[in-house]
Amino acid sequence: MEDLLDRFHAANTQVLGVSIDSIYCHANWAMSLGGISFPLLSDFNPKGAVADSFGLYLDEAGIDDRATVIVDANGVVRHVSSVTPSGKRDIAELAGLCEKVNEAHESTLRSFPDPPGLEDDTVLFVRSNCMFSTNAAAALNNLHIDTVPVRNVTDDEAALDELVAVSGKAQAPCLVVGNKARHEAADIITYLAGRVSEL
Amino acid sequence: MINVGEAAPGFTLQDQFSRKISLDQFEGRRHVMLLFYPLDFTPT
Repeated sequence: MEDLLDRFHAANTQVLGVSIDSIYCHANWAMSLGGISFPLLSDFNPKGAVADSFGLYLDEAGIDDRATVIVDANGVVRHVSSVTPSGKRDIAELAGLCEKVNEAHESTLRSFPDPPGLEDDTVLFVRSNCMFSTNAAAALNNLHIDTVPVRNVTDDEAALDELVAVSGKAQAPCLVVGNKARHEAADIITYLAGRVSEL
Repeated sequence: MINVGEAAPGFTLQDQFSRKISLDQFEGRRHVMLLFYPLDFTPT
């Protein structure tokens, strides 16, 4: 899927995954696949409500069907198909369908503004055996960011000194940009996503 | 199952980066392909 994202991008199509898993489960799963940069949405409050609104929630099993819906830029459903939960999607075929949908609309689409990108002096401080640190570092991976150094303060005293000097405390994770420090993993992750992704 | 030609129901959900994502933020800008799937750790 990640390999074909360029093709969907060229067809002006945003890919969104949807399941009933939590955002934390999504982040871990994405990391296990080597990074998923497209959004994985959590449809769990109430469970499966969005899938249900598309008629794609399987009540008895308590899960979403493995199904694909293509919605054009006017909000109209242009394709819907299910391969059943145990089936496999043909992503290349779906890319072809998106290209067809796009042919009818391309000239009228407005673009998103380009994301601002990351500052050169962005550094992520982490700690070993810390779930929040793991989550923050996983976001770098999932967003395919390889320009931000990750410093582990657990076994690097120089890194720890630097962290305290810049943020005033030894708390990690901490994302430092210039002289601004962010300590909450959720803030760090949302900040990173906002800098590199156009959404 | 929803039918081709119907208006897609709107939604706002959180993604793995804690961002709130709504269908209507793509209106006029992008088509959207929704990949519904049973559970994480299965193929998309």
